[in-house]
Amino acid sequence: MSIARILEIAFRTGRVTRKYPHEPPLLTPEFRGAVRVDPSKCWGCGACVKICPPNALSLRSDSGREVVLEYFVGRCIFCGMCAEVCPARAIEVTKEFELSSTSLESLKYGVAHRLVRCSSCGSLVWTEAELRAVIRSSPVAEEYVVLCPRCRKTRFARAASIRVGAGSE
Amino acid sequence: MSSVNLARALRAIKRSVWVYHLNSGSCNACDIEILDALTPYFDVERFGIKLVGSPRHADLILFTGPVTRESLPKVVRAIRAMPRPRLILVLGSCGVSGGIWWDTYSTIGGFKKLEEVLRENGVEVDRVVYVPGCPVRPEAIIYGILLLLGVVEQKVKKVEVVASES
Repeated sequence: MSIARILEIAFRTGRVTRKYPHEPPLLTPEFRGAVRVDPSKCWGCGACVKICPPNALSLRSDSGREVVLEYFVGRCIFCGMCAEVCPARAIEVTKEFELSSTSLESLKYGVAHRLVRCSSCGSLVWTEAELRAVIRSSPVAEEYVVLCPRCRKTRFARAASIRVGAGSE
Repeated sequence: MSSVNLARALRAIKRSVWVYHLNSGSCNACDIEILDALTPYFDVERFGIKLVGSPRHADLILFTGPVTRESLPKVVRAIRAMPRPRLILVLGSCGVSGGIWWDTYSTIGGFKKLEEVLRENGVEVDRVVYVPGCPVRPEAIIYGILLLLGVVEQKVKKVEVVASES
């Protein structure tokens, strides 16, 4: 190719360079960046933790009184599966990609959830937000909802046995 | 090993960073994005960033991959060959924390473990910047390098909030 031809193409095409930090980045509508967890919607149910392929989302419990849903963006592969499975629609895929940091700690985001005690045996079973969501979404007797699964089974079995006349206790 | 004046060194190389591309067993997606960043489309030579063929000539290593066991000794040798100050830009989720390979038997799981190995071998690293992304965008690479050189501010920070009813 002659230099005249190259120059012709170059002048016709013009400048293609994106002056990135000084002009907005080239983000397509399909682009998936870091996810954002809405702390006012999250239940702390752990569906996202189960689906997350690289374990970027995790539930940890430091004190025993609360669980923390932790999102470590340094391990995220930006697949968006967590946003798909979230029953509360608390996870949203954003277009954020300027995530560079000088330490791994600053790449972490946590949502802390307080746990509710079982009203019968006192074991910690679920989070306050999940309890609220369950009461709101399905008509369940509230004395059952605050029980742990084991106590609930025991109480139901006892009530059923009385009903069929299998004797007391 | 003598210590270096990092601030002075960064001032000196600010407008001419020579980068060496070090792949420690990545899937090549991040490597393709690095090449993208070097093309006229993103044109990192605007910032004086130039790709060199040897770690002995490099100021900065563009580090990709989760560090496979096979590549570990070679990675340590390549980083040892760098002159001080040793600057490392860890690219991609694999490099930052192992990514999807965080618990496989054949990788050591990202730069944090590699840093321990480097310390055991007496190789000091002066500054590390982590760039998450899978793969990293060319813009994210540019942003990471500018953060490393102190041109732009860091946007992310550790946040922990308590869930509350709306």
